[in-house]
Amino acid sequence: MTPEQRRRNRNTGLILAAIVIAILAWSFVRGSAILTS
Amino acid sequence: MSSITADHVPASQGHDDHAHAMPHGWRRWLFATNHKDIGTMYLIFSLFMLFEGGTLALLLRTELFEPGLQFFQPELFNQFTTMHGLIMIFGAIMPAFVGFANWMVPLQIGASDMAFARMNNFSFWLLPVGAILFTASFFVPGGANAAGWTMYAPLSLQMGIGMDFAIFGVHVLGASSIMGAINIIVTILNMRAPGLTMMKMSLFCWCWLITAYLLIAVMPVLAAAVTMLLTDRHFGTTFFNAAGGGDPVLFQHVFWFFGHPEVYIMILPAFGIVSAIVPAFARKRLFGYSSMVYAVAAIAILSFLVWAHHMFSTGMPVTGQLYFMYATMLISIPTGVKIFNWVATMWRGSLTFETPMLFAIGFIFVFTIGGFTGLIVAVAPIDIAVHDTYYVVAHFHYVLVAGSLFALFGGAYYWLPKWTGRMYDERLGKWHFWMTMISFNVTFFPMHFLGLAGMPRRYADYAAQFTDFHQVATIGAFWFGLSQLLFIYVVLKAYSGRGEIAPAKPWEGAEGLEWTVPSPAPFHTFVTPPTVK
Repeated sequence: MTPEQRRRNRNTGLILAAIVIAILAWSFVRGSAILTS
Repeated sequence: MSSITADHVPASQGHDDHAHAMPHGWRRWLFATNHKDIGTMYLIFSLFMLFEGGTLALLLRTELFEPGLQFFQPELFNQFTTMHGLIMIFGAIMPAFVGFANWMVPLQIGASDMAFARMNNFSFWLLPVGAILFTASFFVPGGANAAGWTMYAPLSLQMGIGMDFAIFGVHVLGASSIMGAINIIVTILNMRAPGLTMMKMSLFCWCWLITAYLLIAVMPVLAAAVTMLLTDRHFGTTFFNAAGGGDPVLFQHVFWFFGHPEVYIMILPAFGIVSAIVPAFARKRLFGYSSMVYAVAAIAILSFLVWAHHMFSTGMPVTGQLYFMYATMLISIPTGVKIFNWVATMWRGSLTFETPMLFAIGFIFVFTIGGFTGLIVAVAPIDIAVHDTYYVVAHFHYVLVAGSLFALFGGAYYWLPKWTGRMYDERLGKWHFWMTMISFNVTFFPMHFLGLAGMPRRYADYAAQFTDFHQVATIGAFWFGLSQLLFIYVVLKAYSGRGEIAPAKPWEGAEGLEWTVPSPAPFHTFVTPPTVK
């Protein structure tokens, strides 16, 4: 694996991890919002 | 798929020319970073879990052989049903497909390994932790989770510590799945061999890419749902507790937003495997490659829009029922495209019926029955009548056993020569298929009638009128379970080096980069990426 490929892999992985965290947070926020509305 | 030819595959795919020698002993497995080793570990783990879940199923069927309570109290029976579902889904089917992905995705795209080899190791080693949590929960006060694999509130709010074990187990296995999915996406997007464009990629890789996106989209939702359960149980929140202003139905919405795509997570990789096997044994190129890719993507997108068809009986407005009913029916269109294309691939092909092909055709035939019963329960008024009956049990076992499991068996026979370097025993393989196919139908077909006659699921006892069909199902279940021992024998025989030596490409009509490396695939492959034309 070239350093360039490693860098691309890391960046793509971080973006995907951020999506996972955002969906997790969104689920909590929506859950709470539905109950308080 | 476009025809793939590699213009440069190094003569030596061995590991001697690689900087890292192959580790030996327990370190090879504990610290494994090689995609093939990790793939093997995933497959062995899932086989163990298949037998654990299968044993629980046989305990259920034993109790149900006659009306009345013979062996288990209803509380324990409910623990068996619940843990059977959780173990089969999170311990057997999903890890088995990840095992296939680990083995085959790098080989099919000409990559030397997965993108994140150490994370791959961590993803795997989380699995035994989850399995221990699930299994140990039977031995804690109050026993295991008995609220069904869906863990519906408010029942799940009231259970003992076994529910916490299940919640942590789901967390751990979910984290493993998410890491596995990230690894697969990054590997496919960034590590394909030069020239291997997306639309030249194998259907198996496409199906897994889309499955991996589904996983990262919905596993966090499940994690959130069970975390909210946990905080309701121990930290005073009331997300799902009506007494504190919460709503138990909210749990069902959040759960099924995960749960329905989860069904496709367990079936799309199966589509990929069948799409590899059918052209190989029809000796024809896959019919409608691009329409297959778009169909898989369409199924994945639609899977996000139909979750509440699991909840018709919760009392939703008629407009809601109509929407979810029609949206669910829409899924049959891309699914029909796939079935049509597999049949069209076989049409006028030079067909032979080795074991992988038998399982693939068995898959198409029996999965289609599961698809049709799915259409029937998509109709809201019918669903309300058969909700929580054995009709639904029959439906989803036709999808997940005859669908996912048949494809896994087919894939295992198809790639076993590449994994072991030996041909499996064809005669025993065919016996395995026919025993599995017949016993499967003996087990689950009568459940349609039980359900239509009103037999509810998750009950340890039943009215005497249901006895005959239950007895047929129980006999079929034991037959099915014992037939799987044949599979173990065939696999062990190949792994122990008995059987014909497999050539690099044992199947005349097979296509793809995995067949350009020797059998068994060397420890390191595609150290120099091939160029694909």
